[in-house]
Amino acid sequence: MSETVEGLPQHARERLQGLRDTSRRGGIFTSDFSVNEFLMVGEAGFEPLGLVVGSCIYHTGIQYAGWARNQEMAVLSQAMYEARELAMTRMEQEAQSLSADGVVGVRLEVKRMDWDKDILEFLAIGTAIAHAKGHPGFKGPAGKPFTSDLSGQDLWMLLQSGYRPLALVMGSCVYHVAHQGMFQSLGNVGRNVEMPLFTQALYDARELAMERMQQEAKEAGAEGVVAMQLHEGSHNWQPHVIEFFAIGTAVKPIEDAAIIPERLVPQIVIPVND
Amino acid sequence: MPLFRPPGSSNNGDGGSIARQAAWNEALAHSTVPGFVKDRLAQTVAGTRPWVTTAGPAGLLAQRSHGIRPLGLVSGNCWFHFGYSWTRGHYEGWHTAIDRLRLEAALMGANAVVDVTMRVRRMPGTENESHMDYAVMGTAVRLEGLPESANPALATVSALEFARLLEAGIVPVGIAIGAHYDWLALPGGVTPGAATFWNQEITPLSTFLTQVRRRALQELRDDGTRLGSGVLAHTQHTELYAIEPDENNPYPRFLARYIAIGTAILHDSRSRRQFGVRPVMSVSDSGRLGVTDTTREVL
Repeated sequence: MSETVEGLPQHARERLQGLRDTSRRGGIFTSDFSVNEFLMVGEAGFEPLGLVVGSCIYHTGIQYAGWARNQEMAVLSQAMYEARELAMTRMEQEAQSLSADGVVGVRLEVKRMDWDKDILEFLAIGTAIAHAKGHPGFKGPAGKPFTSDLSGQDLWMLLQSGYRPLALVMGSCVYHVAHQGMFQSLGNVGRNVEMPLFTQALYDARELAMERMQQEAKEAGAEGVVAMQLHEGSHNWQPHVIEFFAIGTAVKPIEDAAIIPERLVPQIVIPVND
Repeated sequence: MPLFRPPGSSNNGDGGSIARQAAWNEALAHSTVPGFVKDRLAQTVAGTRPWVTTAGPAGLLAQRSHGIRPLGLVSGNCWFHFGYSWTRGHYEGWHTAIDRLRLEAALMGANAVVDVTMRVRRMPGTENESHMDYAVMGTAVRLEGLPESANPALATVSALEFARLLEAGIVPVGIAIGAHYDWLALPGGVTPGAATFWNQEITPLSTFLTQVRRRALQELRDDGTRLGSGVLAHTQHTELYAIEPDENNPYPRFLARYIAIGTAILHDSRSRRQFGVRPVMSVSDSGRLGVTDTTREVL
């Protein structure tokens, strides 16, 4: 599949042409915003353009780990990373074709196929938005649309806090946790004791995922990463294989951000919603 | 977005991987972390790597309104085998993980760790219940005007709630844990004879479960006393299993587990400030704000 905007398939172009974009204000928009989210995106100064999507069906290769060794499963790490990136890139292409400033509410999902355990589907979907007054200062790295898993409300809050989103950054590490030998297992019988080989494996896997996410954020020119989440999953791989996946929105200060308005100093309130 | 690169310089090929394992082995045996972790933490504090926070954008308000600056994610874990006591296993597993998290925070010169979340994990693809991993993670923060701390305070609450507690004269100091489990054999079964037809309390089980909970809460109180003067026990979890008779146990048995976890606080109720509470209509959509749920998957 082509990685350029021009290379989008014909049916994708037709769908996108029916959507609103920055040069065609009269078109319709699509989004998965709630009513509140739609209102807050508008309050933040942006308009929704359209739902953008990218997917990737990926066959993961084979890698064997030593039975008694802690080690990263580099083939699987690379597969999980590359497939997510392909899905994200395709979503970004659609956003670019709409001349969007960014994509918010991005969901990045992985689904295993029941009919083949080595095949995974990766989906990236979000709502492309553009600044209502055409402010040029909200693009992501290299002038491409920014990406973020933040909701519309969080986008508003982020801008009020003096930061703008740059990119959804992530770090993945698939790790094989060593099996314990029979003598070691027998030695633990009846004892309350730490299992250091297992502890180290999870420490190391988490560290590698974190380090990679921070590296991506650094390369995007970010000052920090907000709403960082750490996911763990085994995707039905062989026993003792686990993935650590760190994801968050890389952010950068807005250069001419105003001093925090008094009304945004947190107060104690009680919601009266139903 | 950059294309995938091989893992970091410390993990190049088998040799790198083995060296990395050796570094972890050495570090954990001496209650520290490997040099490459220290470097990453130091670079994050120095600003040569981006800071990281588990809080959403609302948490950044605390940075500007209350001078709470996020430093980075800190974590700790301990995979523990409980051979003779589930209760002691939970206690030691959690506390070892918490000590390791505190160590990373101290290396960053943090004053506190907020939004501490706790998870347990069993080995994927296995059914072994005799061991599990206890993991904690949170956001290390620096409080404006305070010097670096060798013993950062820990709190399961967010940065904003942490600020609110401080304003009220309440200081979160750590995480308190109370856990207990016990067995009960019922020779006559749960509802003996004709009692099956009646509405009735199953008194032995009520008494049994109450005792397990009381013992755990006693431990929570003892842990809280060691740390401060009160505990906000936000997470409580109970399990009650029915075990069928077998060759060694001729009667039905029950296993009850209870664990309570909370933030230990120092406070003086006589000097508590009163806040005006304002009713508002919220435009947030529950579950879509990226607010961290501190109770997720605690057990």
